[in-house]
Amino acid sequence: MVRHDIGFRLRNDLSELETLRKRLEQFQTEAGIPEKSLFEINLVLDELFTNIVSCGFRDMDLHQVEITITREGKWVTICIRDDGVPFNPTSAASPEKDCTIEERRIGGIGLHLVRRLTDEMTYLRQGACNIITLRKQLP
Amino acid sequence: MEIYETQEENAWIFRIDGRLDSNTAPELETTVFRAIENGARRMVIDFEALAYISSAGLRVILKTAKDLKRLDGKLVLCAMQDYVREVFEISGFDTFLPIAPTAGDALRQVAPPKE
Repeated sequence: MVRHDIGFRLRNDLSELETLRKRLEQFQTEAGIPEKSLFEINLVLDELFTNIVSCGFRDMDLHQVEITITREGKWVTICIRDDGVPFNPTSAASPEKDCTIEERRIGGIGLHLVRRLTDEMTYLRQGACNIITLRKQLP
Repeated sequence: MEIYETQEENAWIFRIDGRLDSNTAPELETTVFRAIENGARRMVIDFEALAYISSAGLRVILKTAKDLKRLDGKLVLCAMQDYVREVFEISGFDTFLPIAPTAGDALRQVAPPKE
């Protein structure tokens, strides 16, 4: 089975969403992802990345968020790795950092979108890192 | 993202071009807030040229709708692309925000009731 991979890093800055969009367009061309699925994958990654950048870091330092995406047949696997505070998006718990109630509530909508637009989500805390793995079936 | 602002007799119209995400949503929030400060009460946000929206964009839309309601105003959205519409549907926002097919329909919906 033909396998397509892409891997890249984003700085913990929301302006990196533009980099994310460009990388995904590159992956769409290489891996032949349908337009609608690409929109959904972009949204899923955006929501999780925005959560990490907005709520994940207690310091003002530069951090890297690592993203890898693989397509094999009808399945796309997405992996996001960050070294922020422990946050398990598969549980209902709020991020440990002090986000406002409003941010958490809207964060809830973001995670709802993530769950609805993917087929599987697993979370692993490994050392100082959060690792989120998502699987999505293409039409 | 670009925001084009026009004023009609009965409403302020904001046409958003590009992508509404956590990076660009603050600009829309500022623009809309300034318009409300300047007296805008009835608003149409035209999504025809909007290619993408995330929950950060939904948050600004929700806040605008609430602010206008509190001021006896009204917000009507219109001309959504299919994928953007899907985000409104999955989040349930389409159940409490009026979404018109075209800008013309939105202007009619947002107009104050005739005496």
